[in-house]
Amino acid sequence: MISLQHVTKVYRNGVTALEDVSVEIEKGEFVFVVGPSGSGKSTLIRLLLKEEEPSKGDVYLAGKHLNKFSVWKVPHLRRNIGTVFQDYKLLQDKTSFENVAFALEVIGKPKNVIDQRVPEILEYVGLGEKLNSYPDELSGGEQQRVSIARACVNRPLVLLADEPTGNLDPSTSVDIMRLLDKVNRIGTTVVMATHDQAIVDAMRKRVIELDKGRVVRDQARGVYS
Amino acid sequence: MRRFDYYFRETATGLRRNGIVAFAAMSTAFIALFLFGLALLVAREFDLVIYNITRNVQVAVYLTDPVRPDTVTGLMQKLEALPAVADVTYETKQQACDRFHALFVNQPIFTENVSCDAIPASLRVRLTDTGLFDQIPVALSCSNQEQPGGGAKLVCTEPGVETVADYSSLLSRLTAITRALSIGILFVAVVMLASAIALIANTLRMGMFARRREIGIMRLVGATNWRIRVPFLIEGLVESLLGAFAAVVFLFIVKVFFIDRLRGEIQFFPLIRNSDVLAVAPLIIIASVVVAVVAGTIGMRRFLDV
Repeated sequence: MISLQHVTKVYRNGVTALEDVSVEIEKGEFVFVVGPSGSGKSTLIRLLLKEEEPSKGDVYLAGKHLNKFSVWKVPHLRRNIGTVFQDYKLLQDKTSFENVAFALEVIGKPKNVIDQRVPEILEYVGLGEKLNSYPDELSGGEQQRVSIARACVNRPLVLLADEPTGNLDPSTSVDIMRLLDKVNRIGTTVVMATHDQAIVDAMRKRVIELDKGRVVRDQARGVYS
Repeated sequence: MRRFDYYFRETATGLRRNGIVAFAAMSTAFIALFLFGLALLVAREFDLVIYNITRNVQVAVYLTDPVRPDTVTGLMQKLEALPAVADVTYETKQQACDRFHALFVNQPIFTENVSCDAIPASLRVRLTDTGLFDQIPVALSCSNQEQPGGGAKLVCTEPGVETVADYSSLLSRLTAITRALSIGILFVAVVMLASAIALIANTLRMGMFARRREIGIMRLVGATNWRIRVPFLIEGLVESLLGAFAAVVFLFIVKVFFIDRLRGEIQFFPLIRNSDVLAVAPLIIIASVVVAVVAGTIGMRRFLDV
């Protein structure tokens, strides 16, 4: 599903974010990418979204060679990838329903599809009762659920989560992890960058540890360190 | 259908959000397009006047009475043989008289007191190059003679020819005035159009900045660049088209309240009609579309990267 082969990323300011990283992730896997700040976790995610180009090496996603992907096709690539961030990235002037519907609307899905799928996915993430709530009426955990619903509503192959529990308290974080696990169980490949040690240790999933842009550990059913 | 609905809604929101700036852009577009149209109409008005005065004839060869048909053909052949001459047409006394009456239809003091008999028949000559006028008096053996009342007149010895009048310098002077005037107005219009472009580009940029969160999310979920840009492009187009519409309306108002008032005062002057204003309208609309497209390209350049 995801393959990085000898990927090096040097930013224009000379900072080396990734150095000779090779990683294979199979379809349906759940993978933690851990490491201290600046270890290259976010760069890895940005490469998969084709927000950045690798300086060296090849990136493949869902059988597509991203290096050779033309710019105008990038939006179509991203329709197969769900993204979740630490800050939820919700639109404050839209309800939960509208925030999720927005993701379908802007890729041109018809209204009947939107009206069917949006309540369905919000129900799935446990917000069936809060379709018409605005983000400021929701708790942090609920807002993150809306953002997960938005990421999953178009049935992506891959879910990329960058510190999704970074702003949440431990018990809410556990709920969010249960939800991500649930998403993973229906076949979605999940790649989650985090430095939440308790969660990584509790989940016992594959762990890829980065340090100063290098893979220092790749362990099935691993712990944080 | 849903797609149009989406674009329409996004555009409406954008215009509302940017109210004052959008208004500034729109009024600049309006003034620019109005001046643009005005320049075209001024040029048109001068064309009409010049045509009326000269019929675009550069040289007139006035004939002596009575006019003999074989003299006319002979003269025409002689003139057409000259390299300076593009073409020659013959105007009879009757035609000349009719034109005189048409020209001064509102000033009976002229038409009543001038008998048709006094108006000479003429050969009307178009030159290939106005600088070559001298060939004609030479061919017709004319010479300059001082007139008792001052000024000079070409008196010709060629049989049947009374005199030769050169209107080409008048014509070129009038054309030069027209050109200077419309280029002046066009210059102002171009400067204004450039500011309209800058202002519209700026409203689009402000709109995109105000909605950068939304645009960021749209990118993440895989909205195409066009999906993101089209509402802004339409916004710019609406602003400049409204400006164009106002400009056309204003040109009509100017025509009705200023030009039409003159119709009673200046009688033998041809004036632009509604159809002339109407003919300018498509050009104004095309200009406004160009303004919108250029503004869109400039305004969104920084946001084009994925």
